[in-house]
Amino acid sequence: MSFFSVSQLSAGYDREHVIEDISFELEGGCLTGILGANGSGKTTLLKAVCGILPHKGNCTLDQVLLEGLPPKKLAALCGYIPQRSGISIDISALEVVLMGYNPELKLLERPNREMRQAAAQALSLAGLQGMEDVNYLHLSEGQKQLCILARTLTASRQLLLLDEPESALDFRFRYRMFEILRGWMNDRRLILTALHDPMLALNYCDRLLILSNGGIQCVLSPASDPPEKMEQELEAIYGRISLHTCHRQDGARQLVMLKEPEGR
Amino acid sequence: MDLPTVPTRVLCAAGMILMILLAAASLFTGQYPLTLEGLLQGDEMQRQVFLTLRISRTLVGMIGGFSLGAAGFVYQTIFRNPLASPDIIGVSSGASAGAAAGILFLSGSAAVTASSFAGALLAVILALALSSLDRSGRSSTIVLAGIAVHSLAQTALMSLKLTADPERELASIEYWIMGSLNGISIYSIGANMILCLICLVILFLLHRQTILLSAEEGEARMLGVRVGRLRLIILLTATLCVSCIVSLSGLISFVGLLAPHGARLLTKRNSCSTLLLSGLLGGILLTGADILARSAADSELPVSIFTSLLGAPFLIFLIIRGRQKL
Repeated sequence: MSFFSVSQLSAGYDREHVIEDISFELEGGCLTGILGANGSGKTTLLKAVCGILPHKGNCTLDQVLLEGLPPKKLAALCGYIPQRSGISIDISALEVVLMGYNPELKLLERPNREMRQAAAQALSLAGLQGMEDVNYLHLSEGQKQLCILARTLTASRQLLLLDEPESALDFRFRYRMFEILRGWMNDRRLILTALHDPMLALNYCDRLLILSNGGIQCVLSPASDPPEKMEQELEAIYGRISLHTCHRQDGARQLVMLKEPEGR
Repeated sequence: MDLPTVPTRVLCAAGMILMILLAAASLFTGQYPLTLEGLLQGDEMQRQVFLTLRISRTLVGMIGGFSLGAAGFVYQTIFRNPLASPDIIGVSSGASAGAAAGILFLSGSAAVTASSFAGALLAVILALALSSLDRSGRSSTIVLAGIAVHSLAQTALMSLKLTADPERELASIEYWIMGSLNGISIYSIGANMILCLICLVILFLLHRQTILLSAEEGEARMLGVRVGRLRLIILLTATLCVSCIVSLSGLISFVGLLAPHGARLLTKRNSCSTLLLSGLLGGILLTGADILARSAADSELPVSIFTSLLGAPFLIFLIIRGRQKL
């Protein structure tokens, strides 16, 4: 059982705080979604936890202070998927995935055969089988995201920080991505992911952090909270909505969100 | 080395063979006619020319071109900019100003080389020190600092030119800036070549890290890269490598820009073999241009004329090709 806590985190750009004094705690095995309107600070929160943005406050994972870790240790513990990867040179999909092994390699060491095999497996798990040698830049935006997902899943990391990983994916691959993430989870691992798609958030996440105005408005547990309460909280982001419970053919309960017309 | 596909290997082998052929041609090209027979029969004059001038000139052509090509690859990858070259952080203008100072205040070609090397190094250290003032560690800051240093060095160069005697000194400054492999003797290249080769080895060893740096800063950091420190080391190594060459030869245009693009067009990759091919293309281009510089006219011509003559059309071709993609 592991434990992740964020306390009194403030961060922003050019001395203007986008998030202010955010604190929360998550237990291991918890897939946590961050929902919020555009500009509510989802990306800022993730970047601050990564240490990419200078910030006040701190984050601890299993009593280890993330801020104090050298980049290699941090990268071995936490994986990060940015909204868009900055890779802009011709490089094969397999080589992109192999970048994920960097924390395990010495400065001059090269990925070994097992790493290559594992990387190829990670690619096919992500639905890109047989595309090892394809130029990363020639992949579609969605395939790029899946490739970066494969890179993040390579080494045995404990915490994943994902910034809208589903945004470029089509309907089928959104669900595939979250099935993969669910499969990756165990009670030592944690995922913190900003999300655009409320249906994925409601049906795959154990907890939902609702961000507004740079702070946490509330924390929801979609599996147990009453729909009326969630409706009320989600309306702060999406305007008038309604939640409905449906059942898949296999009987699993699914929450469906409908947009209601904005009346008075 | 990465992705051991046959075509890339064939390309590298072909590049190497072509470079060796050109090197052989370069050994026997020049004002003083050399023949294999004469050399074997022990003609003293021919041997002297061959050992002290031709070998060194050919070496600088090959290794120099190789370095410019490889360093250009590294720069373009790290700055994620297809137009980046060592000039971007002011190496060339620093070297020019240093050389001008050497021509004015010191004597002998070795002193000019040393002074230009010092100028190049000073420019780079200044640019990197300026960029470290910005704590955010963006690579664009390095480019901006480089531009500032570049104009500073240009100003220094201009002032030096103003004080130069127009008959002799100004002419040699101008000639130095135009770049040439003429008159490089075997006695003056030792230290530069050794340092240059060491830098090249380091660049090849750090190739995987160079590729990691091509990702966004935050992304690279979350892959476990100490972005600031690593970038500094790689840039310093690549720049040192270029300084070694430029201080011997003067400015050589386009090789550092052209060779990496050629290598990437041919391999469609950025693997270690692309870096190798980039170096080989640089060596081929510079050695070939140097042969033309010696044989196209009665007198020796600046080598940059030919590297540019080959380079400019290629660059235009790249631009047109890029347009068609859109």
